[in-house]
Amino acid sequence: MADHVAGTHAVHDPNLGNTGLDHRKIGMWIFLGSDCMFFGSLIATYLSYKGKSLSGPGPHDVFNIPLTSYSAALLLASSLFMVLALSRLQERRVKAAAFWLFATAAFGLHFVLNQVYEFTTFALREGLTLSTSLFGSTFFVLTGFHGAHVTGGVLWLTILMVLALRGRLDERDYTKVEIAGLYWHFVDIVWIAIFTIVYLIP
Amino acid sequence: MAESHAVAAPHTPGGGHATVKTYINVAVALAILTAVEVASLYIPGLPNGFLVTILLVMSVLKFTLVVGFFMHLRYDSGIMRALFVGPLIIAIAIILALMALFSAFILLPHTVL
Repeated sequence: MADHVAGTHAVHDPNLGNTGLDHRKIGMWIFLGSDCMFFGSLIATYLSYKGKSLSGPGPHDVFNIPLTSYSAALLLASSLFMVLALSRLQERRVKAAAFWLFATAAFGLHFVLNQVYEFTTFALREGLTLSTSLFGSTFFVLTGFHGAHVTGGVLWLTILMVLALRGRLDERDYTKVEIAGLYWHFVDIVWIAIFTIVYLIP
Repeated sequence: MAESHAVAAPHTPGGGHATVKTYINVAVALAILTAVEVASLYIPGLPNGFLVTILLVMSVLKFTLVVGFFMHLRYDSGIMRALFVGPLIIAIAIILALMALFSAFILLPHTVL
């Protein structure tokens, strides 16, 4: 019975539960589900207060759509690199997987640096800070938390890349990389929502 | 019986993955959708309600492509799908409920107001 549920190999794996699914992967999906509600609340707060600021610059006085579009493209490309890393690891090409992990982390870092530039420009040039207005508070909290998630992902991917280069990560660690990938793609889909709702919708 | 759990090789049971070609096709589709999204902002005279609808539809398409293919949810177990889609529905309900409470109907076309 259990053999049938779990697959074809007869080796015990402590990470598989009664469902035949990996505990770590289930745990990550539960976390991502809770993070959905977290970001949902932040987006709801942003939308609820949109257009209700009494002072300070408004969204379309400060947004730099070409720069943000470039950032969105960076994250989308990094998602492709992430699945390529996973695919290479599946093929036991660990060095190639390390390269794609590096590319993913590098694009993620570039995204974070763009965000730092954007925040700095808003604060120094436009006079928009966390405490300027309802728009400033809701915008910085929402995009700042997303940026923090991206930063965490970059660190995670960098650690995986270093482990791969040191020979401490191989195809048996597939699920570890897959879970990091789930997190990374989640960061991407949150940005897809933020990009449209916050930046593009007039 | 019960102790004879098995190692999934190389991915979790119930899971499956697309080919590299599919991943690249999805990435191209995402790039095109993003380009159309941004370009639609610069089309003069486009009604606001129509623009908002286009942007939301393309955003949902992009979201679905990433979750379905890159996150493998299309190929994964129903339990994984439920664990993600359930909270996602709650998140959308939170957004709609708060917008209704605060009378923030910005996402709806102006003609509806």
